[in-house]
Amino acid sequence: MASAVHQDFQYSSPSHQAETAIAGMWLFLTTEVLFFGGLILCWIYARHWNQAGFDAGARETKLWIGTLNLGLLISSSFIYTAGIAFIRVGNTRRLIQCCSLTLLLGLAFLGLKFGLEWHDDFAGHLFPASADFKIAGPEGGGARLFFIFYFISTALHGLHMLIGIGLLIWIIRRARREEFSALYHTPVQVVGLYWSFVDIVWLTLYPLIYLVGRG
Amino acid sequence: MAHPPTANPVAAELWRLFRIWAALLVLGGAEFAASYLPLPRSLRPLVILPGALMVAAVAVGFMEVKRGIVLARTFAVAAMFWLLVLLALGSADPLTRTDYRVPNAQVR
Repeated sequence: MASAVHQDFQYSSPSHQAETAIAGMWLFLTTEVLFFGGLILCWIYARHWNQAGFDAGARETKLWIGTLNLGLLISSSFIYTAGIAFIRVGNTRRLIQCCSLTLLLGLAFLGLKFGLEWHDDFAGHLFPASADFKIAGPEGGGARLFFIFYFISTALHGLHMLIGIGLLIWIIRRARREEFSALYHTPVQVVGLYWSFVDIVWLTLYPLIYLVGRG
Repeated sequence: MAHPPTANPVAAELWRLFRIWAALLVLGGAEFAASYLPLPRSLRPLVILPGALMVAAVAVGFMEVKRGIVLARTFAVAAMFWLLVLLALGSADPLTRTDYRVPNAQVR
């Protein structure tokens, strides 16, 4: 369909339309940085007053799952960006393969995070609102704050992952209909920006949740 | 690995992406190892530093912030600027406040 150039009437050229779409995604990501920035500020503030409690909470997290998920997301960004390199020369088959592999890695991330880690956290009495919260004593309050941060931040990140997975499916479906080519693949680039940003959010959350409180 | 492919533009791009991916894994390992350093509790947030480099590597390597359009770079710089303002102003109070311990008997 749109295998050649793609230009709507309000743009002076196809490249103008592509640049506008990419700039629009960057503007959206700028707002996302500030959205997650507030979350990071909460971590700084709450940890400063509850360092022992935060460390006690961090020691209860599943480090191997967080680290494996870090590797999964880094690899998924790498593979998706490789897909962009393929579509730049018109190789749609490789693009679909890269997107599918990225999708599988994203699903693996969500399975580990919510199917295994959250399940263990709830079973281990680490939900901060539960009456039988695992960490008691003087560190209990800080540990509850830590797990409030943990559940909210991972839930928000997971929501972004779900949106990203929906976008990946959308790209795969359009690629199967041969809608992308070497001349027109702006949606592939825009979704790539979003997916890499979701990766960046995990790169930021990983040390805050799993690493700083250990040692 | 000694002779990176450069004749084919796709192969050259894949080689570039592979090096970024490998660098990210090395930095992730460094961050993981740094978390076991015997740092005082107040200095432990320093283990985030390799993570900051990883964020830069993804932004430059995968999101092509340097090779992209000027407007994208402007938004990326603006995001970092306002994030720094948010974190600096927001954390100025807890990081500079002095606590004075009060005996329980004086607490009303």
